[in-house]
Amino acid sequence: MVLQGTLALMVLKTLDVLGPLHGYGIVRRIEQISGGLLNVNQGTLYPVLLKLEQEGSIASEWGASENNRKARYYRLTRAGRKQLDAETREWEQHAAVIARFFTVKAEDLK
Amino acid sequence: MRAIRRFFHRLLSPARRRRDEERLQIEIEEHLRLQAEEIARAGLSPAEARRQAVLKFGAVEAVKESYRDQRGFVLVETVIQDVRQALRRLRSARTFTIATVLTLALGIGATTSIFTLAHAVLLKSLPVVNPGQLYRLGKESRCCFYGGWNQKDEFSLVSYDLYTRLRDNTKGFEELAASSAGGDLFGIRRTGVAEPAQSYPGEYVSGNYFSMFGIRPYAGRALAPEDDRKGVPAVAMMSYRLWEQKYGSDRSVIGSVFNFDDKPVTVVGITPPGFFGEQLRDPPPDFYLPLHSADATDLVSPNEHWLNLIGRIRPGVNPASIELEMRTELKQWLLSHWSEMSANDRALFPEQTLYLRPGGAGISGMRDQYEHWLRILLMVSGLVLVIVCANVANLMLVRGMERRQQTSLCIALGAQPGRVVQEALTESLLLSLLGGAAGVVIAFAGARVILDLAFPAQPGLAGVPIHASPSMPVLLFACIASLATGIAFGIGPAWMAARTDPIEALRGAGRSSSRTGAFPRKALVMLQAALSLALLSASGLLTTTLRRLENQDFGFIQDRRLVVNADARQAGYRQEQLTPLYQRIHDSLAAIPAVKAVALCIYSPMGNNYWGASIWVDGHAPPGPREDNVAGWDRATTGYFDVIGNPIIRGRGITDQDTETSRHVAIINEAFARKFIGKEDPIGKHFGQYGPGSERQYEIVGVAKDARYFNFALDKPVAPIFVLPERQHDFLPIAGHPEASPSSHFMRNIVIELRPGASPPIAQIRQILASLAPDMPIISIRTMKEQVAGNFTQQRLIARLTSLFGLLSLLLASIGLYGVTAYNAGRRTGEIGVRMAVGADRGHIIALVLSGALWLIVPGLLLGVPLTMAASRVLGHQLYGTNPYDPAVISIAALALGLSGFAASLVPAIRASLISPVEALHAEG
Repeated sequence: MVLQGTLALMVLKTLDVLGPLHGYGIVRRIEQISGGLLNVNQGTLYPVLLKLEQEGSIASEWGASENNRKARYYRLTRAGRKQLDAETREWEQHAAVIARFFTVKAEDLK
Repeated sequence: MRAIRRFFHRLLSPARRRRDEERLQIEIEEHLRLQAEEIARAGLSPAEARRQAVLKFGAVEAVKESYRDQRGFVLVETVIQDVRQALRRLRSARTFTIATVLTLALGIGATTSIFTLAHAVLLKSLPVVNPGQLYRLGKESRCCFYGGWNQKDEFSLVSYDLYTRLRDNTKGFEELAASSAGGDLFGIRRTGVAEPAQSYPGEYVSGNYFSMFGIRPYAGRALAPEDDRKGVPAVAMMSYRLWEQKYGSDRSVIGSVFNFDDKPVTVVGITPPGFFGEQLRDPPPDFYLPLHSADATDLVSPNEHWLNLIGRIRPGVNPASIELEMRTELKQWLLSHWSEMSANDRALFPEQTLYLRPGGAGISGMRDQYEHWLRILLMVSGLVLVIVCANVANLMLVRGMERRQQTSLCIALGAQPGRVVQEALTESLLLSLLGGAAGVVIAFAGARVILDLAFPAQPGLAGVPIHASPSMPVLLFACIASLATGIAFGIGPAWMAARTDPIEALRGAGRSSSRTGAFPRKALVMLQAALSLALLSASGLLTTTLRRLENQDFGFIQDRRLVVNADARQAGYRQEQLTPLYQRIHDSLAAIPAVKAVALCIYSPMGNNYWGASIWVDGHAPPGPREDNVAGWDRATTGYFDVIGNPIIRGRGITDQDTETSRHVAIINEAFARKFIGKEDPIGKHFGQYGPGSERQYEIVGVAKDARYFNFALDKPVAPIFVLPERQHDFLPIAGHPEASPSSHFMRNIVIELRPGASPPIAQIRQILASLAPDMPIISIRTMKEQVAGNFTQQRLIARLTSLFGLLSLLLASIGLYGVTAYNAGRRTGEIGVRMAVGADRGHIIALVLSGALWLIVPGLLLGVPLTMAASRVLGHQLYGTNPYDPAVISIAALALGLSGFAASLVPAIRASLISPVEALHAEG
């Protein structure tokens, strides 16, 4: 199961790094990096894409796929970049806090 | 910000729905193709690659569903979609839909019609300005009149003296108004018009009454404080109803003079339509008069309490502080009359208090009276609704079972269980709302009929001001009731649908081996049987009670007795004219050949209220402050006890020898002798009713057998009562003291005993009375039987309604049982075929099916017994002493239920026994 909101963040980051991509491209990229996170549930990406587009974080347009077929390409908007920055910061803060908790040893607290 | 943007997107999205759907389709297709190509590169066949791509993508339908959820307002859209689909399904099953909607309409209609009445009587505010600011005196409403310096529990009625004191000294009230607590009837005739006087209800109100309510006159002017003074010309306001119905909205009525009990009064204005005074009354007043037009003694005596108080508080003032202020005022007022109080009064002084209550709904006499009944009816109709729910739920379960295959196919295709539930619930809610809409129609018609039956119209008088017209709260109630019903009967089947196993779709032919659904259906039928038993028992108990009440030994004779209701006061007679008038009436009526005997009295048995008195017995210790020494009393003319057929068991009744100058006598009943005299011989004993010094006022000369005179406390033993001769006046042995209870000399009832076989000479009686006292309106002439039965109108209505509901529930339970039995027999067709093939005969098969039904009825009945007990407890004291756990009633109810259940299951049993084994086995194969 993908953590609520995590998938959205991954989508934003992917588009930030790789530029405009179609749905399958985003899935592939997330799979590569996460190691099979979306192995059986690739479809769940599309509702997330729609939600992000409605929020204005990404935009989409028709383009041609690698095989010259019609495909929908998604790209990050300015609002999306801002959201990504904000969420990245937030995520790092969370991660740092949790990491500290995991590394702390009993004697450190004495 | 993002959320807002998304909101607008979603708002606009229905227009782009189709495009979006296509877009998703294209995206998915391209996704799968790309994925398949990639997999194929690893060397798999294109078909296998495609299969794996689809697997990796996940449930396509679920993704689409979730995609749609993102797209628009899910709820609105799916609801619209579901409603359309449900309507299609309902249309295709027309018989089912009509039957269900009708059943629901009955249940919702019954509940709503009772709620309409409950709302009108219990909850509705007065039709006045800002009813929320109104506060009234008294936790409970009391009727008519209280005398003395103390009132039990609370001072809820006040004298004019106390009213003015509270009005002038309570600063928290913007206005504090008073009105007479008892209904007064006036003999009314427009001057200069040759017509007999007619009797109309009127009410005395304080001068600020209309300004306090913020009521403007419909025409003319309203009563004002200037009208409520000593010595000013007498004025009155007429009700819109009377003005319209009797005088055709004639403007000249305003300013013209009417005779009120033969005193001239000018009508100055018309109250607005819809205004019915400060309380619900049946009938509501047709005239409003200033307090100062009441009897002078009512205004002067500080301890004759006859006024209700209701006032408008100043904005922002805490009613609790006003209450405290008024309590202090009450104590100071009592202290200022300390010298007039008896030792007993003084002993009770510390506990005298008063309460202020929200008065937006007015003085609530009728509410107190009917609250319990309405509660019972609400409960009964609610039970019917539950039974209806159970029945419909059963039907829905069957439908759900039939649709099982379709549902399991949906789930197999990836439909979320939530959606399946939503779909099923939509269908239920749609049905219940349709039923509710039809139910509202039934409700208003039903409420109208119930009102007409509960408050029979009196010719010429206004009906009770309760309207069974649609109102917002009632419609809201019907709507909520429908929704609750829909959920109640829909949730079970919906849940069952959600648990459908997708595998079933693959088994084909719907040949389900699981028996899911059998238990819920059986449980529902048991519930129905249990509830029906409770309802039937309740209706049985109420009917038994009614029978007992109507057929009890009243102790007087109802046959061949007529009661004429007429009051000489309404014709302006003075006291000294009364005895000769009554003598003339007696002699003239007694001369009618059909009449055997005539007597007059204030109140005939079971007719109306009675006067109350505190008894002081000569030679006994004076009653203590907390001692109950109350007895009812009446005044009557010679031969009264013979005329009403109440036997005298000791001494004598009232005779012609009881004159103004002879010793003052009283005839008591056995209850009086038991309560006040004890074991001694009552004849020759003396007692009085006007406190210390009056103990030798009356000498007991006769004892009448106990009879039901009062039309209240019918579940209690007969109350003590004494009867005084009409001719004797109560002068106290205190020099200069005026006559006590002078108005008790106005006889209101003429009781006429007819000769056996004679038909009631009504016309002759009217003619004689019109010639003897042309101005005296005849309020009513009815037989004693009608008078007695009139007391049970409401009980009869409740008993009939409950019986109706009981029969309805019986019918529904039988239908439910029939359904389940028929369904089960149908399922067992194959088994029955086998049994018959191996030699079972018809009787055997019938017994087999019937025993299945029996296993539903018997637990239902057992379950119903505690329910019945609970219901009986709610009925409680409305049963007037009928044993609430009467085994006979419960047995009969159980028997009725058992028999109709038997009949209902016999049909499918016989049908099952007629199956030919060959056919049955064929069907199985």
